[in-house]
Amino acid sequence: MVTKRQLGIIVIVLGLLFVLGIVAVDLIGAGRWSGFGPLQQVGSGLSLAALAVGCILVRLGDRPA
Amino acid sequence: MTPTLSRILRYLGAALALLAVLAYVGYLVVYVVYAADLFRWPFDYDQGEGFELYDAILYSRGEWPYRDNAAYPFYASNYPPLFHLLIVPLLGALGPRVVAGRLVSFTATLVTGGAIFAVVRRKVGGWLCPLVSGLAFLASNYVYQIGPLCRMHMTMVMFETLAIAFIAEFERPRHGRRNLILGLLMLLCAGYTKQMAVFTVAAALSYVFLRDVKKAIVAGVALAVVAGAIFGSLNVVTGGQWWTNVIQANVNEFDYRQTFFLFGQWFRLHTVFVLLAAGYLVYELFWGRLSIYSLWFFFSLGAGVLSGKWGAGFGYFTTAVAAACLTSGLVLGRLKNGEWRMENGFSILHSPSSIRSLLAVIVPLLYLVQAPRMLHLPTAGPIFGLLARALGVADTLIKGDCATFQYHDAMGYTQLGHLLTADDYAAGEEILDYVRTAGGPAFSEEAMFSLLAGEPVVTNPTQLLNLYKNGLLDTTEIVERINRQEFGVVVFRAQFYPQPVLDAIGQNYQPVEHLCMNGFYYHVLWPNHRLASPSD
Repeated sequence: MVTKRQLGIIVIVLGLLFVLGIVAVDLIGAGRWSGFGPLQQVGSGLSLAALAVGCILVRLGDRPA
Repeated sequence: MTPTLSRILRYLGAALALLAVLAYVGYLVVYVVYAADLFRWPFDYDQGEGFELYDAILYSRGEWPYRDNAAYPFYASNYPPLFHLLIVPLLGALGPRVVAGRLVSFTATLVTGGAIFAVVRRKVGGWLCPLVSGLAFLASNYVYQIGPLCRMHMTMVMFETLAIAFIAEFERPRHGRRNLILGLLMLLCAGYTKQMAVFTVAAALSYVFLRDVKKAIVAGVALAVVAGAIFGSLNVVTGGQWWTNVIQANVNEFDYRQTFFLFGQWFRLHTVFVLLAAGYLVYELFWGRLSIYSLWFFFSLGAGVLSGKWGAGFGYFTTAVAAACLTSGLVLGRLKNGEWRMENGFSILHSPSSIRSLLAVIVPLLYLVQAPRMLHLPTAGPIFGLLARALGVADTLIKGDCATFQYHDAMGYTQLGHLLTADDYAAGEEILDYVRTAGGPAFSEEAMFSLLAGEPVVTNPTQLLNLYKNGLLDTTEIVERINRQEFGVVVFRAQFYPQPVLDAIGQNYQPVEHLCMNGFYYHVLWPNHRLASPSD
């Protein structure tokens, strides 16, 4: 059984990976926008939301997810 | 609350519940009328239906539809096989007619609605919430429009829904393992109906993971091994054409604005269901325990994200519609039953009777608030005409390229959903006559003209276009054959072909007639040599 804390850690890790992926798009020059494109902006917003949700879940401790 | 007021609210709730059921049964009637109209229509209603039927025909002959698109007849399928295999048994009774596929898809939507009803009834009891949840799925504009088409999407949604229903019960002491195995089988069927089922696979395995990590790993590995074995086998027996046509050809351009637009439309049409499902997800995430239904709703949004892909559309939201209808039914059913307990111990069951009496009114009222948001109906005829005028939508019709449809849909412009007219049948027969008298195979953008004329199906245009854009198509032979004017007639609609093909046709074929059928212009072209020598 996975706890809310464990789920929160998973969500935080996925959120961070997503952010890294968004930044990597610019590093490898993919996409057709220079700078931070609209999809990257949306992705960043979603990543931030995931990090926030993950932090809340971590604080909820050992209750079952 | 006084007993009198409580009694009034009870009667009011019953009346509103009856109205709600009638409203959604009304949508079911409209759906059946539309489906029956489509069953009679022998041609493609939606571009691609004929190709799905042709895939089934090929399977019935023991042939694979995953082929080299660079070689005549330049045809291959870009979808997995299960939907087409389901059509094969009907071909014996119905012949090579597109109604076979339409019956499979329509039946799949009814099974899905029935599964939603069954799950909600099992979980919360009663009749109102289960009934309306199942009917609401069929009432969705999206499900209505594509449900009776010979397309595989709704069959995928059926398998997804069944998978969720089974896997939800995997922890039962009795039949738990059976439910898990059946659920995994349904996931396999969903994936081999349409690739997009991957989001439901993620939802289902995530749920099992949250409850039992070891079982999730075993189930995931087992599913991957079986699916992978099938995948690998198909690729080997088709000489690699399975990978090229089903995976590589489906990597298309992406327009994020289309995704945003469709998300907004989906929310606008299904507002109450979406808000309830989203609220339930938030509740379970922080205050309760995540159910498979909330996870399914969450992951189904991933399919919606892909709706910005070229060739995609609102159909990508039908899984999310099923998940929202099911989950919202659970929410409202649990509210009515008082199965809601908050952190502070507050429970609807132990709340004053006034709240429970109010809920008896609020629940059907919510269904009634939602119902008009999905409004869609024909606007002509003695019954629908009267109804459209009463609802004030008789004049808000949908305009096609060359016709105005006697049809209203709350989603705005759509190419689907309207009934066919005598003019459509006449135009279809005229185009078919061109194909029959062409004196050579037809280069037709829609397959049913060729199939009905007993001619070979030449090209799957969007498949050719996708492969060409991905640098995976050699157009040499197809252009050579066009330059030799080997095709007796060309029938265009949207002209979704690679540019070299369109250029070659432009140089070798001339339009002889433009016909309006089903709201679209169809362009009939003859080879130059036939126009130069009319006696040919």
